[in-house]
Amino acid sequence: MTEDSLPRIVGFLCKWCSYAGADLAGVSRLKMPASLVPIRVMCSSRVNPLFVLKAFLSGADGILVTGCHPGDCHYQDGNYYTRRRFALTQKIFKELGLEADRIRLSWISASEGKRFVDVVTEFTENLKTMGKNSIKAEIFL
Amino acid sequence: MKGKIITSQNGLNQAIKGILKSLLEKGLFDAILVPTRVPSGESFVYLLIKDKNLIESCTPLPPIMPIQGARALRELTRLGKTSLKILCVMRPCEVRASVELSKLKQVNLENISFMSIDCPGAFILKDYINDPEKFDKLYQNTLKDWEGENIRPSCNICVRFSHQDTPADIHIGKIGMKENGVIIVPLSTQSNELLSKIDIECTQETTEWQTGIKEKLQKKAENRNKAFSELKGNVSGMENLNNFFSNCINCHNCMRVCPICYCRQCFFDSSDEVRIAAENYFSRAQNKGGIKFPTDMIFFHLGRMSHMGISCIGCGACEDACPMDVPIAQVFEFMADELQKMFNYIPGRDREEQIPVLIYKEDELHEYEDMEDLK
Amino acid sequence: MKALKISKLPDDAIRELLLSLFERKKIGGVFALAKTNTHNYAYALITNKELLKNITPTIPLMPANAGKLLSRLTMIEPVSTPIAVVVRPCELRALFELVKLEQAKLDNLLFVSFTCSGVYPTRFMIDGIENKLKAYWENIRTGQILQDLRESCRICENFVPDNADIILTLMGKDNSNESILLIKTEKGKNFLEDKSGQLIEADLELKKIENMRSKRIDEKKRVFADLKTEDFGIKGLTEIFGRCINCHACSKACPVCYCKLCYFESSESEYSSSTLEKELNKRGAVRLPTDTVFYHVGRLIHVGITCVGCGMCSDACPTSIPVFTIFNKTAEHVQQLFDYIPGRKIDEQIPLSTFNKKEFEEVED
Repeated sequence: MTEDSLPRIVGFLCKWCSYAGADLAGVSRLKMPASLVPIRVMCSSRVNPLFVLKAFLSGADGILVTGCHPGDCHYQDGNYYTRRRFALTQKIFKELGLEADRIRLSWISASEGKRFVDVVTEFTENLKTMGKNSIKAEIFL
Repeated sequence: MKGKIITSQNGLNQAIKGILKSLLEKGLFDAILVPTRVPSGESFVYLLIKDKNLIESCTPLPPIMPIQGARALRELTRLGKTSLKILCVMRPCEVRASVELSKLKQVNLENISFMSIDCPGAFILKDYINDPEKFDKLYQNTLKDWEGENIRPSCNICVRFSHQDTPADIHIGKIGMKENGVIIVPLSTQSNELLSKIDIECTQETTEWQTGIKEKLQKKAENRNKAFSELKGNVSGMENLNNFFSNCINCHNCMRVCPICYCRQCFFDSSDEVRIAAENYFSRAQNKGGIKFPTDMIFFHLGRMSHMGISCIGCGACEDACPMDVPIAQVFEFMADELQKMFNYIPGRDREEQIPVLIYKEDELHEYEDMEDLK
Repeated sequence: MKALKISKLPDDAIRELLLSLFERKKIGGVFALAKTNTHNYAYALITNKELLKNITPTIPLMPANAGKLLSRLTMIEPVSTPIAVVVRPCELRALFELVKLEQAKLDNLLFVSFTCSGVYPTRFMIDGIENKLKAYWENIRTGQILQDLRESCRICENFVPDNADIILTLMGKDNSNESILLIKTEKGKNFLEDKSGQLIEADLELKKIENMRSKRIDEKKRVFADLKTEDFGIKGLTEIFGRCINCHACSKACPVCYCKLCYFESSESEYSSSTLEKELNKRGAVRLPTDTVFYHVGRLIHVGITCVGCGMCSDACPTSIPVFTIFNKTAEHVQQLFDYIPGRKIDEQIPLSTFNKKEFEEVED
């Protein structure tokens, strides 16, 4: 499989959990598709819904927001806010006929290297069946 | 001035598209910034086009001006020059606005060239959007006769509708030309060479076109004088001004769409104007018994005029965007005309000419100052 | 509930009420719509009781959402003198949202409102709406929906000003010499305590309200069904917003879009030419100005949850894009998600500024 046929996923990784989880996956030499472009954020709640929308409109095939499991947020409750914002964003995507399945919220802890790989692999597979994000070719945005 | 006359059976826009295609194919430009009809058909936007197959879909001289071209170019080059060589196809007022913005450091003209087109004026945006088909038909006549009842008031009084005072590189002329004739005029030696690379040798006389322009100019100048003298009575004095702007709902749209109003945050939307203590409002109300909200409507319009009047191009974008149909462009053009005369300045005429309020002479404007000893 | 019966036309009744509040030094000012010109109307803060003759609270126009204007007035500090505010229900709801967003303060404001039959598009003010008034009042009396009203008003369900202190009942009334002003709150009572005149027992015209509400809901169903937002997709969005001239008037007119410098006008949203050239290589062409769809959907994400459905956005759009319909229809779904009606209660938090520990398990993984 060539790099080109892989979907492109923009991933927002919370510094305290998910990024560490990805790191663990790396040092454990776990294999996963090279589809993720990771962006480290201090907390999943740093992800302005506009980031997700912008990545989507710029043609990312998938957008993955990750953070600590509920209750484990380094800042106590950041991820609860993330969940609300995500629910709202997803609702708006659905109501406007945009492909809401291209955005995903996953909780991955620092010890879940395996889960990180599983999430990325599964999301990549799902995106493959969806095909490329057609917005890439759209001119009149 | 020499040019090359071509005949195009399919109209002005088709002829220009042909030129654009060859310029792109020969690699003389990397991309072209040109108005294009939107997919739903009822309006136009600027497209920066690299793919030469997309040139066919553009409309170099659309019947309306929904977005002032200088705004589009400003967005492209505000933070620095482009690395690609770009040709901007624009109406003359859009070229002048772009050049004026470059003086204000909001547009970077390196790697940018302009093609201006004889402009018959644009229709009122709202009219067109309500019935594009009707106006598309009307536009065919407008392009033929260069005359039309539905043209925007600012276009009716425009005296720089052709190459006059417009620092473009290539100009496309149509006024006064016989049926289907279009004249291509290089306005610099470089563009002459450029055109010869796509086999357009500009050696023909331009008298027919120039005569056409002269005739049209006379008419437009008459319109202008008439409109201004009518306006003068309507806007002098506070009461008249208040009446003139009485429909204004303070949306600041005129400022948002003005190509020259480039501030990210306008003074009139900033903390200075928006964060005012309740007591302040109260004491203002008590002085007069009452105060209208939002406050400072006249302050906004006159303040904006004092900020950008010297650079006002007279494109009429403000009036097109006004949801309440305030004839704002006319009063701005009228005042701008007066201001610009003071300094013998025409905005956007020359790339090197500096904006008068950014420079000074030691010995000038004595009629406005007072130095005599008081008796 | 106690009510004040004044044998005058609705506007005159409100004037009389305000005048008596002035005279008994209960208020030091009035904030209401007033006639400013032959056929122009604007909100005004009036401190001289002589000028009360100019106010026209029930004139069916909304040149600006008063919630936004009151936020200007009280952004830094509450008013120190009590003022009576005469506004429409959606303006009151907008103000409540702005208070939650810390953009306004409610102290010392007495709210007078009425069961609202809607307003005409502001553009009607250009030619004057005086000749429309007869038909307007006739429709209030018969309980019909006027088709040339703002779309937002034709489909509005929340036209009863639940949060007002004093409510003028208009639903089903004609423009006649009998006005009932309900005293809804303790605050209202306090302001009126020593007011002479006839106090009666009265209530909201519930039956007529329900009748109107069901008509409006039907109308809403029809309007929302006509605009198939759920089928838009990116194609539909680029088509419907294709004629947008990026003037951002919708955001300027929106009462709950309160940012002084919108993200979409800030330097953050500007691109370097190299970024745009990359886009150009990717797509073959780039629309300029950019980010039209991004702006509209982005704004929807930002303010959809607090959209009060006043319709100012559509009113201000110079290219008549149905901004309101798209926004309100989508916003309604979002608000249902959190069981939230913007401006319903002052102590109800905006859903995005709070959370429950167990919720929305369907969106996470």
